[in-house]
This record gives sequence, C-alpha cells and structure tokens, in this order.
Amino acid sequence: MSAHAQSRAPAALIERLRTAHRESWSLGDLVGVAAAWAAGLALCAIAAAIVIYMMVQGLQYLSISEMFSHPLPGLDQSQSGGFLDPILGTVVLTILSTLLAAPIGIGIAVWLTEYGKPSGLARAVESGVEVVAGTPSIVLAIFGLLVFQEGFLSFLSYEATDGVAFGRSFFAAAAMMSLIALPLIVGATREAMNGIPRHVREASYALGKDRASTIRRVLLPASRRGIGTGVALGMGRIVGDTAIVFILLGASLRLESQGDIPGLQVLQGTGSTLTTYVYNNSPAGEGGSPDKAYAAAFVLLAIVIVLNFGIDLITRGKGPSWTRA
Amino acid sequence: MAAPGTQPEQDPDRTDRRVELGLGALSAAVLLLISFMIVFVFAKAWPSFAANGLAWFGPGGDIGDQLTAIFNSPADPEDYVYELRAWPLLYATALITGISVLLATVLSVLSAIFIVEFAPGWIASLLQPVVRLLAAVPSVIYGLIGVLVLVPFFGNHLITPEQKESVQYVIQLDGSSILAGVLVLTVMITPIMVAITVDALRSVPRNWMEGAAALGVNRFRALRTVGIRAARPAIVAAAILATARALGEAIMLSMVTGSIAFAPNPLDGLVFFFEPAKTFASEIVDCAEGLSVKPFGETMYAFAAILLISSAFLSFCGWYARRSMRKYTLQAR
Amino acid sequence: MTWKRPLAVVAALAVSASLIVPAGAAAKPTITMSGSTSVAPLAALLAKKYISSCGSCVNFKLLQGGSDVGISDVASGRVTIGNASRDPKPSDPGGLVFNKIAHDAICIVTNKSNPLPGIDQAGVQAIFGGQVRTWSQVPGAQASGTIDVYVRSPASGTQDAFQKVFLGSTKLFGGAPEKPTNGRIQLAVKSDPNAIGYVSLFFAQGAHAVPYKGVACTERNAKSGQYGGQRNLYMVTRGPAAGAAKAWIKWITTSPAAAAVVNTEWVSIQ
Repeated sequence: MSAHAQSRAPAALIERLRTAHRESWSLGDLVGVAAAWAAGLALCAIAAAIVIYMMVQGLQYLSISEMFSHPLPGLDQSQSGGFLDPILGTVVLTILSTLLAAPIGIGIAVWLTEYGKPSGLARAVESGVEVVAGTPSIVLAIFGLLVFQEGFLSFLSYEATDGVAFGRSFFAAAAMMSLIALPLIVGATREAMNGIPRHVREASYALGKDRASTIRRVLLPASRRGIGTGVALGMGRIVGDTAIVFILLGASLRLESQGDIPGLQVLQGTGSTLTTYVYNNSPAGEGGSPDKAYAAAFVLLAIVIVLNFGIDLITRGKGPSWTRA
Repeated sequence: MAAPGTQPEQDPDRTDRRVELGLGALSAAVLLLISFMIVFVFAKAWPSFAANGLAWFGPGGDIGDQLTAIFNSPADPEDYVYELRAWPLLYATALITGISVLLATVLSVLSAIFIVEFAPGWIASLLQPVVRLLAAVPSVIYGLIGVLVLVPFFGNHLITPEQKESVQYVIQLDGSSILAGVLVLTVMITPIMVAITVDALRSVPRNWMEGAAALGVNRFRALRTVGIRAARPAIVAAAILATARALGEAIMLSMVTGSIAFAPNPLDGLVFFFEPAKTFASEIVDCAEGLSVKPFGETMYAFAAILLISSAFLSFCGWYARRSMRKYTLQAR
Repeated sequence: MTWKRPLAVVAALAVSASLIVPAGAAAKPTITMSGSTSVAPLAALLAKKYISSCGSCVNFKLLQGGSDVGISDVASGRVTIGNASRDPKPSDPGGLVFNKIAHDAICIVTNKSNPLPGIDQAGVQAIFGGQVRTWSQVPGAQASGTIDVYVRSPASGTQDAFQKVFLGSTKLFGGAPEKPTNGRIQLAVKSDPNAIGYVSLFFAQGAHAVPYKGVACTERNAKSGQYGGQRNLYMVTRGPAAGAAKAWIKWITTSPAAAAVVNTEWVSIQ
C-alpha cells in the first residue's frame, strides 16, 4: 500500500473545490451517475421484491400445523401433510456437517498459521482448500456418491443385498457438505489468528507456556469471534445447498432410518431437507403443489435471514482490544 | 510463513511435537482427500473422453438421443456405448456464464460507485445488509421464483405466437430459456461482486481522490478513472469468483432454462434468447438418477471433469491477473 | 477453554437427536423400490394398505427415477424391487424376473380448453413425430397456433410404452421438452392451452383425455380391453422374488384388498 503522509487540507476548501467545477460534468458523466443510481436502486428493488414476494406467497400458504406435521406419502402432494421432516432434515444435516467441518477447519487453520512446516505442504494445503472452495457442489455431490457406494463404507448408509452400499444417507451428505463449509471456516480462523499481534504470543511464551497450550488457552479463545463468523458463514452455505442433498440424501420424503442403533439410525438413513423439498414441489420436481413449495421456501428464507443476522451480531461486537501496549 | 513470536527456549516439548504432527497429519489427510477426488473424477471420466477423442467437444447429433443410447448400453463392458458430442452443452455453458458475468460486472461496478459515492447516508447503510442478504439467498429460492414467475411470464406474455412458429420445426418455446437463466444468474452473482468492489473502492487512498478533485475533475469521473483503475485487481478477482459461482450453478439453471440440451442459434434473432439450453452442471443434476449405469456415470464424470478443469483454470487466471496487476499498487486481497 | 464444555454440548445434542428419532425400529425387513413414476402412486397406495393389513410387518422405501433407472438399480442390487411400466427389452440386464402387477392405460391429453374429439394412430405419429406443428392442421382442434408437444425423458417406461404402442417406428420430435415424471406432463398440459402430451391414466385428471381410435380413455374401457393404449406394470426382482418381497408381491397379485386398491385407477390382473 503506497499511501504516503496525509496533508490534510481543510474540509471546507475541499468541498469548495469539488463543487466549484460542477460545469465540468459532461454528458457521459451524467449518464454514468444516472446509471449508478439506477443500479443501486435496482439492487434494492430486487431484494425487496424477492423478500416481499416470498413473504406474501409464503405466509399465504404457511400454516403452523404444516410446519409440525409429517409429510404423508401421497401422490397428490397438495393433500399430503406438512414438512416437519424436511425441517428436521435441514437441522440434522446442518448440525452434523458443522460438527465435522469445524474441528477439521480450525485444526487446518491453526496448523497453517502457527506451524506451517514444511512450507511446501502448507502451500499445497492452501491450494487444496482453495480448489475445494471453487468446486461446484454438484461435482462434490457425485464424487460423494462414488465414494459412499463402495462396499466397505456401507456401514455409513444402507447395505442392500450382496454388500452393495446404497450410498445415500445423512452421513454421506454431511461428509460432502462439510467440504463446502471448510474453506470458509479455514479462511475466517486464519484471518482471526493472524490478527492477533505478536506480543500476545510472546507474552505467553515468556510465561513458560509451550506453543500447544498457547494456542489452546490464548489464541483460540481470542479468535472466538472470527471462528464464530466462519462457522456461521459455513452454516449459511450448508443450509442453502441443494445439489448435495439432492444426490446424497436419498430423496425420501420422511426421515427413514436404517440399521439398529437408535440415534445413529437416523444418520444412516435417508431423508430430505427444506431445499430438496422446495425443489421437488416446484415445477422442476413433481410440481403438484407450488403452495407447499412457497411455504417451505419461506421457512428456508427465514432461517437464512436469522443466520445472517446472527453473523452480523457476532461481527459487530467490540473485539478484544490489542492496542494497549 | 514463520510463526510469529519467538520459539520457546526449552527443547521441543513432546506435546508440542505431537500437536504439530497431529495437525499436520490432519491437514495432509484433507489434502490427500482433495487430490484423491480430483484424480478419481478424471480417472472415471477418461473412458468417455478416450472413446470420443476431440470430437467429444464438437457438434453432431442430439445430446438427448446420445445420452439415451449410452444409458441403454448392453450389459457387456465390451459393448458400452460412449458416443457423445457435447458441443451444445459447452456452448450453452460458455454463453450463459459469459453473458451473466458481463452483466454482473457492469451492474456491480455501477452499484459500488453508487454505494461509495452517490448514495445518501441512509441508503448506503441500508444497502450493506441488503447485498449480504441477496448473497445468502439459497439458489433453490432463486430458481423457484424464476420458474414460477419469470418462466410463465415469458411463455405467456413475452413470446409471441409468431416467434414460436418461426422455430416450431426445430424447437419448442415455452418460456424456459437462456434469457431467464441469464437474468436470475446475474442477480445471483452480483451481490458477491458488489461487496468486494465496494471494499476495494473504499480502500483507495483519500488523497488520490482529493488530488483528482483539486485538478477539477468531477466526482464520477474521478471514481471512473482513479478509483476503478486502482480497484481493478479486486474487480478482476471478484469477476473470477463470480464466474466460478456461475459455472457451478446447477439447481437454479435446471429449473429455469428448460430440459433440452439445445444449442441456441444466434441467427434466429431475438428468438435466440427465448430458446432453451442446458449447461454441464444442470445436465448432471437432470441425469443424476442414471449414475448407476456405468458408461452413463462415466459420461457424467466427464462433465464434472470439465467443470473441475474450468474452476482450476479460473483460479490460475485469478492468481496470474492479481500478480500482473500488482504493479498498479493497490493489492487485491 | 476447557474441553469439558464442548463435550457436554455434543453429548446433549446426541441425546436429543436420539429422542427425535422415530422410536424403536427393530430388525424389520425393508423393501426398497425405485423406478417408474407411473407405478409409484400405485406402489404407494398398495404399500399403505399392506402395512395396515399385515400390522406394520415391513418398512417400505419408495424412490423414483424412471423405469430404466429402476431396472438398472435392481439388477445391481441397490434396491429390492424395480418398478417398471414397460415390457422387458432385449437390452435389459440378465437374471431379472418381471412380476406383472397391473395393467395401465396411457392417455393422450390436451388442455381442457382444447377438447380434441378424437385422434387416430396416424394423427399421433404426425403430431408427436413433429411433422404437423400447428393446431389448424388438426381436425377438431379448438386451439390455434403452434402445437406444444410434451414428452417424457428417455429413462421413462411410459415413454417406452408410448413409443411401442402409439408411435411404432416414428421417431419422436426432438424439439419437444422432456419432462421427468407424469406429474410434470400433467402440470404442463393443464397450464398451456396449446399443449398435448401423454400420461398414465391416473394422471389424466384435470386435463382432457383424447379418445384414441374412437375409444375414450377411461377406467372402464381399459378394463374391458377396448382402449388401444394399454401396457403392463411390473415389479422387477433379481431372480425370483424371495423373503419379504415375495410375500408383498404375492399379496398384490392374490389379495382382494390389493385388487380393490388397483382397480381405483388401474386395471387389476386378478
């Protein structure tokens, strides 16, 4: 950054300089300003239109009973119950994926910032994470199908005859979903940890702590805000993803559990989330009931807005002040 | 990057070593998984490319028919059918992605200029969360609005019967079109670019802008010449990010651009925009159920391989562009 | 930061997760079915009836994807039963047993505002083959303008049956949008006044079913065999059906309760 020493002219003078040459506005510039205004207002208008439209349509078709009743396997979806299972599916999948992504992401970020030797490996890991960040989720999804349909992984889903794995379950979907959240968590954690000044670490070493406990007791707690932001961002992406759920969750309307261990049954089984429920009820899926699609989409949008609001709250608070020497 | 702070003077604590090895192994394992994914996708995709050679990328025949033939391949591996001419998909992907990114770049630069310079205070602070909200809306909701509002609007009100008749022997127009896809995709990727561009414009040093003002340049022109120029690396980075997002968009496009892998014909005039098309990503989604048939699955992996190569290529372009623009001072993050 | 708190949180989550879980599914056999979207509604209704009549003795899992997907899934062992709405083809994998469970009729449908009085095979071939593209060339049509043809995607058994029974050797019009399910065609035809498509009899509600070769497409005409567009519905197993699947298929083909369910919109073979 090549900002050199600022010589501050008095604000009034600057303002006068600015306004003094208003005649220098050419037609092209005026068109440009008009275009800028149009673009900015268009963005507002589109956002308002989307939210208002979803609210109107969603509230029109949403009923509390729908949110808490199970979908009934019917042919005509408009008569068949609510979408409790997709809501549960979204919740379960998001929690499971975040539980997978967060420790791994934080671990990778810590290693990259605090250790990072050999540096070739560190560069490679960074590039790898960036590759995953840029990979479309549909590619991750069919790769996941490839992996989880291998026979030796059938304990993670349903084992059909002859040891052929069904390959679609909450475990499979969560494993691939965690890859989606991983780059966000790694990035946010690294940024947070890099923002901690040297003297904090030095003070900890001076007190006799080794690097591992410095990380555990000083650096990670101090990075809590950044990590929280990263995790919330990751959760936002997970909640909104459809492709991975579509391919890896088995598309059964209700949560169908597999296997015999209670609790684990659900995770080995199939289900649907709000995203695939909306997709399946839209004219892209069965199409029979756009009203259900609107209602579910409204709930989904509400969840995303609340998550976003949460991210705002986390980042807005005053961080630890490092400026005191 | 060396760890900040000094090394503790004691000889390496065993826990420290263990933690370092543990975390390093974790990172290496994830790296291994990612490389494995890339290698595996290419390995699975190879038979499809090998059987078709370079003609894989060329035109010829109807993709729907070719995919059906692949799906119905006889069970004997010797007789697997692989023939595919993926040009319509390639063309549609490039077309839809290209137009959307172009539109989104223009829209986002203009919006960024608006937010940074011309918006009244309350609008500017309103736009911040608005842009973040737009970026967070799931693609299936964009798709839902597209397929329930835009597509019927096009089909019933915008496409005239004469336009339908003009292409009726080749393709049927029902509202699902590249226009719908491009419009929704532009709205989807603009917020990402706006955030980055606004950040970049805001970090242009104040005295550069003041210098321009002192020279008698009006606000807009100052931004256009000084600000945009300085923020160019960031805009390029944002455009590349947006392109990657657009390439990978499968669900929304499969909802609004129709179900036929058709190569829209520019010679059809205005009707060109109303013709349906399918991109690589949306084709994978639509064909997801047939993955268990071996040659069909391998063809899908070939599509995935193309997507992977494109995103890798984009990452490289971004890195290169940022490097070469470094001499224009402002560093893009 | 101690490690105890995160562990406690995880434990609490696990406990609450297991409480949400539908309780005590002991080792009940599961029958997974995938395949035809025409068979899917019938399978769902039959499954519901079977569960109530045998006292929840088995779990069902129903997926779709089209007849070809069902056949390929059952051949590779991924599902117990593949639902198919077409006859076996020579290119099908070996070792499969096609268990017939019902007859079905395929109806040609148009929008309610365009009640075509009838169509013959030549007409179907001309329209769906793409030679005739305007309604003005179709006798008895009340719509005007371009004919909007809707067809099924290649994996569909209905598509296969339609090709075999109605089209013969005529190739399908390549420019027609392909819909993945009966429901989508039904939706398209209901909302587009210029539409024409084909669906399984069950999905003809809300649209106008065009009489084929002078015979209306109704349940009664399908049962009596007069309607020309009939096809069979199958549940395909790898080898002869065994275990829970065998009991299930036997119940469908012999029990009067099952026949009653089938006869609502399909034609029972009993």
